[in-house]
Amino acid sequence: MKKTTIAPLIIPLLMLGVTTAVAQPRVGDVLIQNGTVLTVTNGTLPETDILVRHGKIEKIGKGLRAPRGVETVDATGRYVMPGIIDAHSHIALSSVNEATSPVTAEVRMEDVTNPYHIGIYRALAGGVTTSHTMHGSANVIGGQNETIKHRWGYKDPDALRFEGAPRTIKFALGENPTRVHGKRGGGQGKALRPSSRMGVEAVLRDAFAEGQRYKEAWERYEAEKTRNPRAEPPPYDLRLETMADILRGDILIHCHSYRADEILMLMRVLGDFGVKKITFQHANEAFKVAPELAAFGANASVFSDWWSYKFEVYYSTAYNAAILTRNGVVTSINSDSGELNRHLYHEAAKTQKYGGLTDDEALALITINPARQLGIEDRVGSIEEGKDADLVIFEGHPLSVYGVPQMTFVDGVEYFDREKDPDDMRLFVDPEAPVGDGMIETARDAHAVERYDGRLGNH
Amino acid sequence: MTAFLSHPAGAGLCRALLMAMLLLLPTRAHAQTDVPVVTRTYALENARIVQAPGRVIERGTVVIRDGLILSVGEAVDVPFDAERIAADSMVVYAGFIDGLSHAGVPKPKESQNRDRPDDPGNPPDDVAGIQPDRDVRAMLVPEDKSVKDLREAGFGAAHTVPHGRMLPGVGADVLLGGEKPGDMVLKGEASLFAQFQGARGVYPATPMGMMAKMRQLYREADRRHRIAALYADNAAGIERPAYDAVHDAFFPVLEGRKPVFFYADEALEIRRALRLQRDLGFPLMLGGLAQTFDVLDALKEARVPLFLTLGFPKAPKQAAKAKKDSVEAEMAAQYDPDIRTATYRDLEAEQRNLEARQRQSREQYIRSAAMLHEAGLRFGFSTMDVKPADVHKNLRLMIEHGLPEEAALAALTTDAAELLGLSQSLGSVDPGKIANLVVTTKPYFDEDAKIKYVFVDGVKYEFDVTEKKKAAGGKPGNPAGTWSYTITTPMGEFGGTITLEGTPDDLHGTMTSDQTPEPLELQELTLEGNELSFGFDVPGMGYATAYVVITGDEMEGALTIPGMGDAPLTATRTGGPR
Repeated sequence: MKKTTIAPLIIPLLMLGVTTAVAQPRVGDVLIQNGTVLTVTNGTLPETDILVRHGKIEKIGKGLRAPRGVETVDATGRYVMPGIIDAHSHIALSSVNEATSPVTAEVRMEDVTNPYHIGIYRALAGGVTTSHTMHGSANVIGGQNETIKHRWGYKDPDALRFEGAPRTIKFALGENPTRVHGKRGGGQGKALRPSSRMGVEAVLRDAFAEGQRYKEAWERYEAEKTRNPRAEPPPYDLRLETMADILRGDILIHCHSYRADEILMLMRVLGDFGVKKITFQHANEAFKVAPELAAFGANASVFSDWWSYKFEVYYSTAYNAAILTRNGVVTSINSDSGELNRHLYHEAAKTQKYGGLTDDEALALITINPARQLGIEDRVGSIEEGKDADLVIFEGHPLSVYGVPQMTFVDGVEYFDREKDPDDMRLFVDPEAPVGDGMIETARDAHAVERYDGRLGNH
Repeated sequence: MTAFLSHPAGAGLCRALLMAMLLLLPTRAHAQTDVPVVTRTYALENARIVQAPGRVIERGTVVIRDGLILSVGEAVDVPFDAERIAADSMVVYAGFIDGLSHAGVPKPKESQNRDRPDDPGNPPDDVAGIQPDRDVRAMLVPEDKSVKDLREAGFGAAHTVPHGRMLPGVGADVLLGGEKPGDMVLKGEASLFAQFQGARGVYPATPMGMMAKMRQLYREADRRHRIAALYADNAAGIERPAYDAVHDAFFPVLEGRKPVFFYADEALEIRRALRLQRDLGFPLMLGGLAQTFDVLDALKEARVPLFLTLGFPKAPKQAAKAKKDSVEAEMAAQYDPDIRTATYRDLEAEQRNLEARQRQSREQYIRSAAMLHEAGLRFGFSTMDVKPADVHKNLRLMIEHGLPEEAALAALTTDAAELLGLSQSLGSVDPGKIANLVVTTKPYFDEDAKIKYVFVDGVKYEFDVTEKKKAAGGKPGNPAGTWSYTITTPMGEFGGTITLEGTPDDLHGTMTSDQTPEPLELQELTLEGNELSFGFDVPGMGYATAYVVITGDEMEGALTIPGMGDAPLTATRTGGPR
């Protein structure tokens, strides 16, 4: 157990996931026959087959034959679309907010992925195959998020990891971090920065500046070490190490934001520190600064039509996604909720009523665009040969009110089938909690549970 | 409690209690210390000696002298000064070893209204629960009830750790006896104890915060350790490394001399501890394990010492009751994973099925020891989450669920000693080892086996094994009499009287209510210990069952009405025999 290398030097390796004991998730083979294939990136292909081998889409075409041992699924009269990607989610997590400090860049959602969470299965029932599970919005710089595939049934959190997905981190502007940190009182300790939007900017600039100095200190040490074997490494700080990684461009930022002024502010801060990759989450006023977002190369991930739940979210429009799309901003529609994620296809369809987006544009909002925002567009987000076989078969067009997901595949493995959907799909049952606890009896209760579960405190 | 203390009347009562306790204390101390020890030599004669699992002397003698086992065998010389104990028909085992507990460490009171630090993101280490520099040896109290309770359950040694939050301090291997704290210590600096217990309202508060904090502490300690080595080698030209108690506490871990001992009961916590070990590379031991059935592969791969909890989840309160655990298993087997019902059509079927699933879940916990064994994993036990009095019962349940008796005994003795690195001095009945022994009236895993003697460090503790009356759980007496009851339902409270007549073995009775003055005949009246159950027909609703526990003139329990679920039932005896 003697250590021979300095731990910080091996961190980059660890970040790449070079660890043992990673479960190899299953990959499947299947031939989906004669469906209407909504490729998203290559139009709609009527009466087309998709052959899946070893979890990848091997061939798209007509009259494909199933190789020996490969099951076929008849999709006649049905629609096949790419697995839906939710760019903002808090399902499958044991904890969401480390709300004790305005900057907690060092915490990672992958440490608290909860593969037992029934929200994963519910998401599959809504055709969602990948979620971006995020830190909450209590802190200006929250934790590092995790991109997961909904491989329901695995109990090893590592089996859910979207292997190879880039690292991302949660930022948050506006009322949430100022309320959590700046408005303390009543004997709960003194108020901290930020207590205003100006304070939020100052916290960001300080964190980046500290990360910059940390990066330089380590670079100086690395250089000196080649000359002087007795060189002393500077103090190790996982938080600043993470800030340095953002500055190096290794981590994509996903920032909770609402107002146009704060969106512009963050782009200025990032510009000053040379950081380029940013997706604004929620971004209800993004439509006001759509050209500026496009010019910066920033993305937006928004709600279809949800607002007025606090003061900073009053100036909003259901045309947001359409305006952003027409201005060339890579835009997605997310759920931020364990309930909304089950009908993201309907959320996307609202952009046809409000903004007249085409079918492909609307579907892109929940497939290839979130994939681009998460840096996984070469693997998922459209139906193309060579991509992962994350697919959903719909009865009815997904953008129609009659659309209902029937089967959901991840890596060619069927994880949801409406025909085989018994009452109790939980992976684990607490042996002590009385049956009936948390039972949902009315629609109103259901709403209350969801609010408690996912929405409350995260927007 | 605080409110109670501040109240003048409460304070008065407290003082009175305190006085009473003070008066009692010297007497107890007397009884222990004032009796002169005649000899430190004992001979257990004509006993069945289980030296280690599978190594048995059918009829032999164990001689103990000066805290050590002197000799073991069929024919050994008994020294002239020995206290001879006729152990005919008794069984001698090595004293049990507890892999993780707070034995001998009184639980400190946590103040409820602690002021939040000015900067909750950067709290003082003690508020954050980051105290790896504390040593449990400084906290030991031999008179603590936990020591006595564990000893009564057969344990002679324990790996004990401080109370606290994420990093409570350094653990030690202790003997569960002695008069001074120092007498207890067998091996100090045994472990650096860690658990996923977040700080309250300050950093690190969440599991993810604790994961990050552990990485930060370990890697920074590693850096400091390296600089300390450079400095020790040649101080010239290197700024003096500052002493820091928290980081320096990791140095023995970095040198591989001390394991991080993680308490992790749930599967996800076990995985998190293993993940930290993979990332950081420290020697790891795991204790308090409960949900191991979901992480068997990961545990097989990790090859770290494991200590399984001796506690089980509480049997849930359910509509359908099982009296015996074997029946629990049968009811669990009725779970149908494919059931698809509309709740509003058949609530009962759904509830029955969900309860069966829940029973299945509990069964898994009870079977987990057998599963670890079948997976070829060696393990010891931890008493962190069990009442010592339940240890025997729970071990028997594990055995009923497939754990071989020899494996259970190994987990209590030889394997535990080996995993803790104590097999030179503990774990088997062999000459030269510390005289920690358990002497039972029958083979230990028999249902009615009783522990007659426990030897710790060569000191004899004797227990009363006379068969008590059947009322193990409480004082049942005769429940006959008139009871005034209250049932609390969502529709409000209902009351009336229950009249019980006869003797505990032959009870009969009736029940009246506010609504139905006509007495209802109670059926299937059974009394077990202080637990009473009965049923009756509710006009128009079916057969209701009640289950209550009687304490003196009070009964408390639940009434199950078909289709309506459980309702709490309490009653007070208002007349009749006591």
